[in-house]
Parts: sequence; structure tokens; C-alpha cells
Amino acid sequence: MMMKKKWICALSGALTGIVNGLFGAGGGLILVPLLIRAAKLEARRALPTSVFIILPMCAVSAARYLARENIGLQPLLPYLAGGLAGGILAGLTFDRFPVTWLRRILGVFILYAGVKMVFQL
Amino acid sequence: MPNISWILAFLLSAATGVLSGYGIGGGTLLILVLVLFCGSSQSAAQAINLSYFLPTAGASLCFHAKDSRIDWQAFWPAVTAGIITAALASWLAPHIDTGIIKRLFGGILCYVGIREVFAKAKPHKSPQREEKSR
Repeated sequence: MMMKKKWICALSGALTGIVNGLFGAGGGLILVPLLIRAAKLEARRALPTSVFIILPMCAVSAARYLARENIGLQPLLPYLAGGLAGGILAGLTFDRFPVTWLRRILGVFILYAGVKMVFQL
Repeated sequence: MPNISWILAFLLSAATGVLSGYGIGGGTLLILVLVLFCGSSQSAAQAINLSYFLPTAGASLCFHAKDSRIDWQAFWPAVTAGIITAALASWLAPHIDTGIIKRLFGGILCYVGIREVFAKAKPHKSPQREEKSR
């Protein structure tokens, strides 16, 4: 049982990596549903765990993008500071929201991204 | 780059940062707002999203880890496999036509998105039904 969960999680992570590597983004969107529905994680832990799984992939992509786009650090500072504040707030308030509603909001974004990809907008 | 004041940029990314910290797609919203309302190019918005996610995720994870909301048995295999396939796929990406794959994946996302939107509060599956579906 334990072994099975390990392999399903490895497959889910592998799929996330493939999508992120091919398209630059989007892998994270299917990671939460995979962790909940395939690996049977509790939703309360699937969301934060997915953030952590995506972080290193995101760091690598960020380095590549910043090198290509030639944006200095200074114009990014307000976004980095804002994100930091939002992240702290998220960490402090996560338990106050029903997880089902968080999943539904995520579902709306997944659907939006899916429609965009299908019609190549 | 988006054409907004630093205070607006801060407030916007703080608001989407909460969603990103929950793991529910804040980055998608940030890119959308930057491109639609702030005159940003798609690629600049993507670069902003990727870099802002690092402090955002880092900060929220301190709290998530402290309150034991990280499933480590899931984390380690997923992150190891993900890093390997991400490196392979990004090396492969310039050499293949990703258009069709993108459409297919978009279709999967539509299906998954609809299922998540209608997710039940308590997804109890009866064991009998699970056996039947095999």
C-alpha cells in the first residue's frame, strides 16, 4: 500500500515535470487533482504539498526566463515583496477555509487554462 | 513589462500570492491580470509569475510545514521524478512540435477542471462500486 502511493506520487510528479518542461507552465494545475484522486492524499495536505513539489521546477524555469527576458531585479521587487506578504497570509489562514471551496476555485483556473490550451489562445 | 505603479504591483501580487500560497492557481490569475489590464507581454508576465512564486511559496511553506500540512511520503518521490522529467522535457521541447500535445493536454485540463469545480465536500466512494469499476 505504502509502496503503491510512492509510485503514484512519482508518476504524478513526472507528469507535472513533463508538462512544465514542454510548455513552461501548467503542470502544477493537474498535480493537486492527481495527488487527491490517484495518490489518495487528504485535500488539506495535497494543496500545500503541491506548492512544495512545484517550487524547484519553478526556480529552474524562473532562472531560464529571467536570463532570456533580460529583466533586472529592480522592476520585480514589488512583485516579490507582494508575493511574500501573500504567502505569509496564505500560510496563516489556510486552515480557515473549507478545502472543497479551495479545490473549486482551483478547478475554475484549471478549466480556464484548458480552454486556452485547446483553442491555442 | 506591465505599466503599473509599484504600490499596485505590490497589492496585486499580495492578493494573488494568497491564492498561490494555498496552491489554487494564483499564478494563472496574476498572468491574466498583468496581460489583460496592465499592458504586459505574455512572456514578461510569465517571468514575473515564475519569480514571484519563489518568495510566495517559500513563505507559505514555512507555515504549511510547521502545521504539518506537507505529506513528505508524497513529496519526495514526486519532486525527484518531476525534476528529472522537467529537465528532459525542456531539453526536448525545442525539437518537437508541441501544438498537438498542448491541445490534448488542454482537453485533459478541461475534463479535470470540471470535475474539480463539482468536487463533493466528502468524496466517499463505496467499496463495492470501486470493485465493480475494475
